[in-house]
Amino acid sequence: MDDGRRRARIMAAVTKHDAGAGAGAGELIERLCWFAVNEMALSGCALVLMSGADSSSMLAGAGRHAQTVTGLQMELGEGPCLQAYNSGVPVLLPDLTAENANRWPTFAAAALAVGVHAEFSLPLSVRPGGIGTLDLCRDTPGMLSGEQLADAMVAADIARDAVLYQEYVPGNSDLAGLLATVGTDRIVIHQATGMIAAQLDETTSNALARLRAATFASGRSMYDIAQDVVERRIRFDE
Amino acid sequence: MSEIGGPSARPDDSGPDSRRDDVARDTVLARAFVRLADTLASDFDVVDFLQSLSADSVEIVGAEAAGVMLADARGGLRLIASSDERMRLLELFELQGAQGPCLDAFSSGQAVQANAADSRSRWPVFAPHASDAGFQMMCAVPLRIRTDVIGALNLFRGTDTPFTGAEMDLAQAMAEVAAIGLTQERALRERSLLAGQLQAALNSRVVIEQAKGMLAEYLNLTMDEAFTLLRNYSRDHNRKLSELAIDITGRKIPRAALVRRPGQGP
Repeated sequence: MDDGRRRARIMAAVTKHDAGAGAGAGELIERLCWFAVNEMALSGCALVLMSGADSSSMLAGAGRHAQTVTGLQMELGEGPCLQAYNSGVPVLLPDLTAENANRWPTFAAAALAVGVHAEFSLPLSVRPGGIGTLDLCRDTPGMLSGEQLADAMVAADIARDAVLYQEYVPGNSDLAGLLATVGTDRIVIHQATGMIAAQLDETTSNALARLRAATFASGRSMYDIAQDVVERRIRFDE
Repeated sequence: MSEIGGPSARPDDSGPDSRRDDVARDTVLARAFVRLADTLASDFDVVDFLQSLSADSVEIVGAEAAGVMLADARGGLRLIASSDERMRLLELFELQGAQGPCLDAFSSGQAVQANAADSRSRWPVFAPHASDAGFQMMCAVPLRIRTDVIGALNLFRGTDTPFTGAEMDLAQAMAEVAAIGLTQERALRERSLLAGQLQAALNSRVVIEQAKGMLAEYLNLTMDEAFTLLRNYSRDHNRKLSELAIDITGRKIPRAALVRRPGQGP
C-alpha cells in the first residue's frame, strides 16, 4: 500500500465517528495514538514535542504507558526518543532486555521495572531538524510488523502535519493556541530547576541533573520531587 | 520533445550534424528539467530559480526574451525574473496596464499566444510597448499545479514566427515543473518556519519557568509573584520575556536590579 492510501485509511479510521468536527490538533493526535494502541497491540502511544532533551512535552497520548515512557526519558535525560529526535532516524527496541537496549541502561531498567518491554520511537521530521517523536511501547517484547511500522510512520507524518499546519484539523488553525499550551505539563519541573539552581548557585542544566539524580536515588517521580521543591518541602542546599 | 529538435520542426536541419544537434538539445532540455526540479537545496533562492527558468525557456523553446511573474499573498502578480532588461521593462508595463499575455494566462489558467495584430486588439495599452521593444510574437503559459495557478511565464519573439504547438507544450511543461518545485519549496519553508516557532515556544516555556523558580527562591516569592515581577521588568525595560528569562537564569542581571522599579535610584 502506498503512503497516500495508507494516510487516507488512517485518517478515515480516526475521523469516522464524527468527521473530527471541532477537534483540535491535540484531539486528533490523541485519536491517532488510540488508533496505534488498538491496531498495534500497544500499551502506550504518545506524541512528544521537544526542542532538546530538557524541553520535551507530551502533547497527547493513549494507553496506560503513554505518560510512562515520555516521563522516564525526561526524568533520566536519556532514552530512545531523544536519539530518534536528534538523529531523525527511528529507534526500534523490540526487547528492552536485549543487548541493544544497553545503550540506555538506566532507561531500559526503569522501563522494564514499570512493565514496558518494547519501545519504538519515530521522529517527527521537519527539515532541517525535527519537532519531536511519536513513541510506541508494548508490555510484551516483539517487533512491529512491516505493516504496523509503515502505519506508525504515516501516523507520525499525520501528527506532524496536524501540529505544524493544523492539517486535518477542521475549522481550527490555532497554532498560537497550541504554542501557548505546549510544555505546560512540565512547568513544575522547570520551576523546581530554577529554584535548585538558585539554592546551589549552579547553572540550570546542573540543577536539572541534580533533580534527576535525586529522583533516581529516591525512587519517586520527578514530578513529585519537583512539587516538593516548589512548595518548599525539600531544599537542595541542606 | 523530439518534435522540437526533430526534422519535422526544422526541415532545413538535415545532414550529419542534425542528429548531433538533437542529442545536444535533448541534453540541454534534460539539464533544464533537473534544475527546475531541484528546489529543495538548502541554499535555494526563488529569484535565481525563476531567472534560470526564463533563461532556459528562451534557449529551449526558441524565443528572444522571457519573464516570469508570480502571484503574491494577495493574489496580485509580481514580476520576479526576466531574461533581459528590455523584458523587465515590458513586463512592468504589462503589470501597470493590467493587461497582456501573462495576466491572461494567469487569470485563465490557459496558454495564450498572439501576433502583433492580435495583441493590438486584445491588449491595446500593452501592445505598443511590446512593439516598441521590438517584439512581434508573444505567448504566455500558466505556472500551474492541477487547478492552482501560481504565476505565468511570458515568451517573446522578435520575428513573426508563431510558437508551434510543440513549443507551447514544452513551455507549459517547464512552467508546470517549476510550479511543482516552487510549491514543494514553499511547503517545506513554511514547515520549517513553523517548526522553529514551535521549538522557540518550547524553549521559552522552559526558561521562563526556570527564571520564575530562581526569582521565587532568591526573593522568597510565590510563583505568581515571581511572574508578575518578571513581566513588569520586561515591560519597564521593553524586553521580551523569554530573553529576560535567559539573562536571569544566566545571571546576567543581578537579582537586586530586578526588585528595583526604574527611576527608583541606584
